Amino acid sequence: MTPTSIFLTIIAILVILYILISIRKNKLSPANSFIWIIFCIVLLVLSIWPASLDWLANLLGISYPPTLFLAIAIVILFIMNFTQSKKIEDLQKKIIDLGQELSIQKDKKK
Amino acid sequence: MEKRNKILVIIPAYNEAKNIGPVLESLKKEVFYADVIVIDDHSTDSTKEVVEKNNIKCITNVFNMRYAWTVQTGIKYAEYHNYDYAIFMDADGQHLASEAAKLYDTMINTNSDIVIGSRYLKDTGYKCPLFRKIGTKFFAGLVRLFTGKKIADPLSGFQCINKKVIDFWSKCGNYPEYPDANLIIEMLLRGYKITETPVKMKNRESGASMHSGIWKPIKYMTTQFYTCIVTFVKYIGKRRIK
Repeated sequence: MTPTSIFLTIIAILVILYILISIRKNKLSPANSFIWIIFCIVLLVLSIWPASLDWLANLLGISYPPTLFLAIAIVILFIMNFTQSKKIEDLQKKIIDLGQELSIQKDKKK
Repeated sequence: MEKRNKILVIIPAYNEAKNIGPVLESLKKEVFYADVIVIDDHSTDSTKEVVEKNNIKCITNVFNMRYAWTVQTGIKYAEYHNYDYAIFMDADGQHLASEAAKLYDTMINTNSDIVIGSRYLKDTGYKCPLFRKIGTKFFAGLVRLFTGKKIADPLSGFQCINKKVIDFWSKCGNYPEYPDANLIIEMLLRGYKITETPVKMKNRESGASMHSGIWKPIKYMTTQFYTCIVTFVKYIGKRRIK
């Protein structure tokens, strides 16, 4: 293993541990942790077995394998960002709705 | 003027203590047959006190929601209390109480769902800043392009809506942040009848407009333009325009 692979393996293991601790402490729901765990497992596999990246890059016709790693990371981050953007909007709608209801109910109580 | 219908005048207000007094005074004189409610968007000045001093009902938003959602609080109030019609008026003195009756009369005479008080349908002597005039013409063009209907002043917030629209807007989960040309396009494409009537308007008396500065108008124009196009695309294949 090269120093880079060791470094990435350690990072992936630490992040997986951090996610598991967060789930145990109820700071992250198991459902929301899914995509992060998948992301870390992919990182772990690629770090322990770098040849897999070469094999996959060769299969897809990419001449410089690290670009594939970056491309995968960007796609995963993009999907996560888009999902969160939708969730934030959904929450914003609910907050506004609650605020409006509360404002009107408060008036009714007077 | 028919007085049997329940009419609610909704005034969204944010830090309008200096302007709102005369607006309420004139409403009490000119539109005495309607109920008036001010939705205070969590103002930091004495807007609420001024409104209550005038014996007008005031609901304060529990946090600052900005213009559109403050208006929607009023629409929800109208829906809860079963109003037949709602009239939106600005708190800055731009919309004249004497003209509010015109909106309601047009609503009754034309059997419309929405009546817009227009500054540009006839020459009413309104002095409009050049930038706003260009913006209005541009969005009027967009409305015409997307719906085939001619709306001269799609950016006017001086509107009267009927019960059907009150019900729809109070329950719609995506009431837009800037409810102007995009919402008009949506309502036209949904088959609602929109009519315009010429009204006189004044320029605001004091304080800053919500579209003042450089960044805010740019953000407004861009968002409005984008949402108009997206609204049009959303209704491709399901237009119910009459």
